Amino acid sequence: MSEQTANSISSPAKSVPSKRYQQWRLMKDSLARYSVVVGGLGVIVAIVLIFFYLLYVVLPLFESAKASPIAEYDLPEKNAGKTLLLEAEEQNEVAVRFTDSGNINFFALASGKLLLNQKINVPDGVRISSFAQGSPINQGAVAYGLSDGKVIILKHQYKVTYPNNSRQITPSVAYPLGEQALVIDDSGAALEKLAVRVEPDSTTIAAKSGNKIHLVNFAKEQALFADEATTNRTAVTLDVTADGIAELLIDKEGRELYLLNNEGLLSAYDISDKSSPKLKHEQKVVEAGQTITSMAFLNGDLSLLIGDSAGRVSQWTQAKNELNQLSFKKIRSFNISTQAIVAIKAEQRRKGFLVVDAGGNVSLHHSTAERELIKQQVGAATPVAALISPRANRFLLETGDGKLHAWNIENEHPEVSFKSLWQKVWYESYPKPDYIWQSSSASNDFEPKYSLTPLVFGTLKAAFYAMSFALPLALMGAIYTAYFMAPPMRQIVKPAIELMGALPTVILGFLAGLWLAPFVEKNLAGLFLSLFLLPVSVMLFALFWQYLPKKYQQKVPEGWEAIVLIPFIICVAWFTFAISPALESFLFSGSMRDWFNRELGIGYDQRNALIVGIAMGFAVIPTIFSIAEDAIFSVPKHLTVGSLALGATTWQTMTKVVLLTASPGIFSAVMIGLGRAVGETMIVLMATGNTPVMDFSVFQGLRTLAANVAVEMPESEVDSTHYRVLFLTALVLFLFTFVVNTLAEVIRQRLREKYSSL
Amino acid sequence: MATEHVRTHAIDMNSILRGRDKNSGQNEICIKVENLNLHYGQKQALHNISMDILKQRVTAYIGPSGCGKSTLLRCINRMNDLVDSARIDGKILLDNENIYDKSVNVAALRRRVGMVFQKPNPFPKSIFENVAYGLRIQGINDKRTLDETVEEALKGAALWDEVKDRLNDNALGLSGGQQQRLVIARAIAIEPEVLLLDEPASALDPISTLKIEELINELKEKYTIVIVTHNMQQAARVSDYTAFMYMGELIEIGNTNQLFTNPKKKQTEDYITGRYG
Repeated sequence: MSEQTANSISSPAKSVPSKRYQQWRLMKDSLARYSVVVGGLGVIVAIVLIFFYLLYVVLPLFESAKASPIAEYDLPEKNAGKTLLLEAEEQNEVAVRFTDSGNINFFALASGKLLLNQKINVPDGVRISSFAQGSPINQGAVAYGLSDGKVIILKHQYKVTYPNNSRQITPSVAYPLGEQALVIDDSGAALEKLAVRVEPDSTTIAAKSGNKIHLVNFAKEQALFADEATTNRTAVTLDVTADGIAELLIDKEGRELYLLNNEGLLSAYDISDKSSPKLKHEQKVVEAGQTITSMAFLNGDLSLLIGDSAGRVSQWTQAKNELNQLSFKKIRSFNISTQAIVAIKAEQRRKGFLVVDAGGNVSLHHSTAERELIKQQVGAATPVAALISPRANRFLLETGDGKLHAWNIENEHPEVSFKSLWQKVWYESYPKPDYIWQSSSASNDFEPKYSLTPLVFGTLKAAFYAMSFALPLALMGAIYTAYFMAPPMRQIVKPAIELMGALPTVILGFLAGLWLAPFVEKNLAGLFLSLFLLPVSVMLFALFWQYLPKKYQQKVPEGWEAIVLIPFIICVAWFTFAISPALESFLFSGSMRDWFNRELGIGYDQRNALIVGIAMGFAVIPTIFSIAEDAIFSVPKHLTVGSLALGATTWQTMTKVVLLTASPGIFSAVMIGLGRAVGETMIVLMATGNTPVMDFSVFQGLRTLAANVAVEMPESEVDSTHYRVLFLTALVLFLFTFVVNTLAEVIRQRLREKYSSL
Repeated sequence: MATEHVRTHAIDMNSILRGRDKNSGQNEICIKVENLNLHYGQKQALHNISMDILKQRVTAYIGPSGCGKSTLLRCINRMNDLVDSARIDGKILLDNENIYDKSVNVAALRRRVGMVFQKPNPFPKSIFENVAYGLRIQGINDKRTLDETVEEALKGAALWDEVKDRLNDNALGLSGGQQQRLVIARAIAIEPEVLLLDEPASALDPISTLKIEELINELKEKYTIVIVTHNMQQAARVSDYTAFMYMGELIEIGNTNQLFTNPKKKQTEDYITGRYG
C-alpha cells in the first residue's frame, strides 16, 4: 500500500517537480532557515557578550578589599624606647620607627631587619618632651620638642639606586633647618605639645609650653645676589590659655591651626599671616561622656577625623552654614568599634583611613563612600602604633608584646559605593550634601566625585525635552500623512522625512551648537512667539480654508491642502523672527535672556536643554514619524470603511478606530524614539555644554550618560576607578535601554493582542 | 438532524411567502434611483440606472462579477465618495430627498442607511463596544441607554444568547458567522431606515449563511433591505424583489418569483439558467 503511494508520487507526471529539484528546494529552505537562526543567535550572543564585558570591567568596583598577613617579627632595637611613629617609604621596602628616646630605626618592612639606627642630638640635661609628625605627611618631616623650649626638625628620606640592575633603597636622616635645635619658647619651658609644617622655604611650628601656645615661623629668604639664604623668624603667642590643650594640628597649606582641648573643644585659627593668628571659630566636637582618643587629618587636610573612647570616628570639616559663616560641621561618622580608638592613619592619596582600636582590631574605611573595607583582628596584645604605606597597600601594627605585624592590602576601588554613586554625598567644604559628578581636576588632593544621579538626570532631561518637541510633530505628521494626505503627496512627503533620519547626528549637533544656540539666544522672544503663533495660525488657516468659497477650495485637490499651508507656515515663522528684535526691545528692554535673569532669576546657558530638545527632537522625528505612519497607514481599510458606514465622521473614525488599531505601532514608535533620545551621543555632546547639573530648567545645560562616556573615556587611565565608573555609566545606559525596550516590547505585544485586527 | 434543519427552513420560507402576500397592499417607495451614471475615471461603471426600492422589502441585486451591483449598492449610502476617481450624476431619492444634494450631511445619511460588508469587520474592541460604537459617535454615552440598545440589537441580530456572558470580550474572538451577525447588530443598533448588505454571507460557512438568511427575513419587518449576492439561490430564498444587472446596466427588476420563474429578458434567463456568470 505504502509502496504504491510512493510510486505514485515519484511517477513522472508533468506538474510534479523532479526529485532533484525538490531536494534542491528543500536544501535552499533549510539553508535559509539555518542562516536566519545563526544570525539571530549571533545578535543575542553579541549583546550578551557586551553585557558581560561591561560587567567584567565594572564588578571590581564593588569588590571588598582584602588583607593578608605577610610577616610578623620582633621589634628591632627593642630597647630604644617607646614608639612614637611608624612610617614607610613609597616602595614598601623600608619602614622607620621614631622613639621617645630620640632613636630613629630604619628596618626592612618585610623582615624587620635593622638597616640604620640614628639618634638625635639632645644636649645633656635636656629630655624629649613632645613629638609631632610634620605636615604635609608625604614630605617625611618630624619634630622633637625638647624640655628646654627648643625643637629639632628632621626628615626621613630614601635614595633609590639601581646597582646591578636591582633596586636598592638607602634610608637617611636629614635636618632641613640644621642639626641645631631651634628656639621656640624663649623662657625655656618644656614643649608639651607640638605641631609643625615643613616646606622647603617656610617652616611653621606651633607648640604648647606651660599655659601658652607659641606660633613660630621660619621663612627662608633668598636675597637676589647673595649666595646664602637668610632665615626670618617670626614668633607670636596665641591669645589663649593653653591649659587643657590636648592636640595641635597645622594643615599642609600652613593656613589653619587646629587646637583641641581635653573637653573636646575644637578651635580653628587662621594663621595665613604668621604674625597675627586669628581665631575663626570653635565648636565642641565630642559627645558628652566621651573623650577624644585620636585625631588626624584626612588626605587633603580639609577635614579632621576624630576618634573617641566609644569607638566612633567622626569627620569634621569647615563649611558655611545658613548664615554664610564658617563653622565645623560633622559630615559623617563611623561606628567602628565598641572599644576606644587608638590610632587613625589617613591614606596619602585617597580619602581612606586606617583605624586601630584598643582591642587590636584594624579596620580600613573610605570616608565619602562610607565603606568599611577591611576589619581584621591583628595580634594578640594591645596595639601601640600603626602605619599605612604611602600607596595604601601595606599596613604595619605594633603590639604591646613587642611584635610588629605586616599585612598586605588589596584595595583598588574604595571610593565607590551605592551611596556615593546614587545618593547625596557631603563632600568636604561643601555646605550640604549634594549629587556631584566631577571626575578630575588639576589638584592632586582632589577627590573625584562620582555621582551618577546628575548624569541619569541629564539623560532623562534631554530625552524629555527632545520628546516634548518631537512627539507632537512626529505623531501629528504621521496621522495627517497616513490618513488625510493624498497618496501622491504622501509618496513624496514620507521618503523626504525618512531621509531626514539619514542626516548624520554630528552635523545636527554641529549646527545646533554653532548656529542654533547663538541664534536662539539672540531671538529668544521670536522662538517663544513662534511656539505659540505657529500652531494657532495653522488652526486659523484651517478655519479660513473651511469658509473659503468652494470655487477656490476646489482649485486644490483633496488631500493636497498641506501644499498651501507650507508657504503660509514659512511666512509666519519668518514674521515671528522678524519682529523678535522689536519685541525684545519693547517688552524685555532689549534682551529676553537678560530679562529672564533679572526679573525671574532664571539663568540662561547658551547651550541648554532647549537647544538639545530642538536638535535631538529633529533627529528623533524621522524614526517616530516613519514607524507611526506605517502603523496608521496599515490599519485595514475595511475598519475605516465600517466606521464611516455607521455614520462616523472622518475625525471620529480616526480617533476611535484608526488610532486604537494602530496603537501598538504608535507605542513602539514612541519607545524607539525614546530609546534613540536616551542613547544619542553626538548631539548632546555638542549642544548641551556638558555641565552635570541637576537643574530641570530648560535654559540650563546638562550632561548625559552617553556624552559623559564620550567626553571622559579618552582621558581616563585604564583600570582606574574612573575608567571603571565610566564603564558603569555605560552599563547603566545599556540596562536602561534594555529595560525600556523589553518593557516596551511586552506592552506592545499586549496591545497588539488586544487591538490587532483581522 | 440535518433534514430537520432543512424542514424548519422550508416552513420558514412558507411563512415568509404568506407574509409577503399579507403585506402586498402597501408598496411604499423608500429609495428611488433616477438616471444614475457612475464613472471611475474614464470608465463608466453604471449606465443610466433607474429603479424603485420598496419599504420593508428585501431587494436583491444579482449579476455576474463586475456588473456594478456592489457599486450601485454603495451609491445608496455614498460610500463611493471614498473612491477618489468616482464621479456620479443622476439622483438617488431617499424619502423624496436627493442624497447627492450639496446640503446633505454624509455622516447623517450613513446613519440612516446602514451597511454590512462582505467580510466581517468588527473593530478591535469588546463585543459591547462594537455594538455601542454607532451610538457613541452620535454622542450617546448614557450607560442605561447603551445597555438596552446593545441588548436589543444583539437580540435583533440573533446573537444575544451566544454572547451575553462575554460582552466585554474582544469581538475578534468570535467566529466568522458570529462576527458577521455582530456587524449586523452594530448596524441595526443605530436604527437605520435602510440596511445595505454587500454579499453578507459569501465569506461564511453554510450554517452561518443559513443563520444570516433567517436573520434577513426577521429584519425586513423593520428595515428596508438591499442585498447584493451572486448566489442566486440565496437571492431566491431571501428577497422579495430581484434586480439583475449586467455590464453596469440594469437589465431587469421584478418580483423575485416572477424573475426566477418567468424572466422577461433573454439575458436574465441565460444568467439564471447558468449559461454564463
